[in-house]
Amino acid sequence: MKQLLAKGAESVIYKIDQWGSPYVLKWRQSKPYLLKDIDSLLQRSRTSRECKMLTVSRSLGVPTPAVYSVNLDRHMILMDYIPGNQFKQLAGQISHSDLISFSRGFGSLIALLHQGNVVHGDPTTSNVIVDENSRMWIVDFGLSEMNATVEMKGVDLHLIHRALETTHWEYQEVMLDATLEGYIEVLGDSAESTLTRMKDIRERGRYH
Amino acid sequence: MTLYCLGIEGTAHSFGAGIVTSEGEVLSNKWDMLKPAEGGIHPREASRHHSELGPSIIKEAVEKACIDFKDVDLIAFSQGPGLGPCLRTTATIARTLSLKLKIPLVGVNHCVAHIEIGCLESNFKDPVTVYVSGGNTQVIAFAGGRFRTFGETLDIAIGNMLDVLGRELGMSFPGGPLIEKEARSGTQYHDLPYSVKGMDLSYSGMLTAAKRLHHEDVSIPDICYSVQETSFGMLAEIAERAIAHTKKNELLLTGGVARNNRLSEILSGVAERHDAEYHRVSPSLAGDQGAMIAWNGILQYNTGYETKIENSHVLPKWRTDDQDILWRRYE
Repeated sequence: MKQLLAKGAESVIYKIDQWGSPYVLKWRQSKPYLLKDIDSLLQRSRTSRECKMLTVSRSLGVPTPAVYSVNLDRHMILMDYIPGNQFKQLAGQISHSDLISFSRGFGSLIALLHQGNVVHGDPTTSNVIVDENSRMWIVDFGLSEMNATVEMKGVDLHLIHRALETTHWEYQEVMLDATLEGYIEVLGDSAESTLTRMKDIRERGRYH
Repeated sequence: MTLYCLGIEGTAHSFGAGIVTSEGEVLSNKWDMLKPAEGGIHPREASRHHSELGPSIIKEAVEKACIDFKDVDLIAFSQGPGLGPCLRTTATIARTLSLKLKIPLVGVNHCVAHIEIGCLESNFKDPVTVYVSGGNTQVIAFAGGRFRTFGETLDIAIGNMLDVLGRELGMSFPGGPLIEKEARSGTQYHDLPYSVKGMDLSYSGMLTAAKRLHHEDVSIPDICYSVQETSFGMLAEIAERAIAHTKKNELLLTGGVARNNRLSEILSGVAERHDAEYHRVSPSLAGDQGAMIAWNGILQYNTGYETKIENSHVLPKWRTDDQDILWRRYE
């Protein structure tokens, strides 16, 4: 049994039942508008990277779905199904205090990655799943990278800021403050250089 | 009653003037672009260009529209974002005309104007917009009363990247059209850094690598081909992410680099993949010009918006998402 869960820009996600349990099958489809060389390279490298980084991130203390199998030729990953809701969906429905506490949790998880010199690469609230026990999981590691520099971490935080202002504009200040609090809680003083870089990055790329 | 708006644009190296009516009819659209003999644009030289040519371009626009200055009902000008000296010259001309003709002044956000002129032409209601020019590379969509930037470049703008590469390859300014021409005879793709981060992207690493290809004697057509495929691919990918995220069903390509046919072809592929309507602005409305400022001026004026002289100071860093878009009330 195969049930379509989501169709994004990057991949198609199915929920499948196998061996008596639910799993997620993530399939990176071809993007026909890209040059074939680029398309194939991206499909393959992102699939492989995602598998690796799901595991690396878990070893840093960040809950991520376990990978069961990968098919690099068909660009498919079979992994745990995490029952729950995207943080993106929850944000508008939960209490103010829950919103703050989940945002802090989000910031802490990103901090754990950064502590291990890993960046997520696409840290939006769509890629955070909150399960029935209010445990937070991070998914979608296709753009994740290791050996991260301050610049890369700064970009990660900048992307969070960007995601909050475009998707959660009503609560963006509250959510950003709480996320950064959670981030600083884990990293302490060492968060400072990344936070400064985040602000610098925001000023770039604009008309000067 | 039909309103006639004179729109004045001068945020960077182009100065333009256009007349647009409140019915959305573009009656005239004249501009001139400063082409430096070598190197990039110097803000001071550009502002001198505007003050020297501005008055005659405005006069031409009014004559071409077959109206008289006394028929103009309102002056709109590009208040920002842009290069300070250019903006100040443009604003001075606009203020003077407003005072002399005793008609209202409306300060317009340049980036928003690029989007709205595209919507006027395409009849799009609520698109994801890819806005590409010498100074900007943004993916923008309307949400919560404002145009919000979903993605943009983390370093240099696409047009700037193409111009710098063109200079490296010995091309004259602007390099973009010449790169497009060369790329057509490119056959061999060379790997270049593909840098998409969330819905943002970065071009500086790719530019450095492309310069290296040139030093390694890779042919110019192959370099141009590889650069176009990589840089446009990245842009298409973030546009696709924005469409998937916002679930909007229109994709608009606007800004000077919209004139590139290969970019348009790639983006139409993105739209097709998501069953979205696709439109790119026609060449005369793609670059920096006065018609878009005029049309946005009308949209703003119709909501009761007016810029008093004392509030007409230029806004060089005016963000796209910093303006309440009062003329769009739907979600």
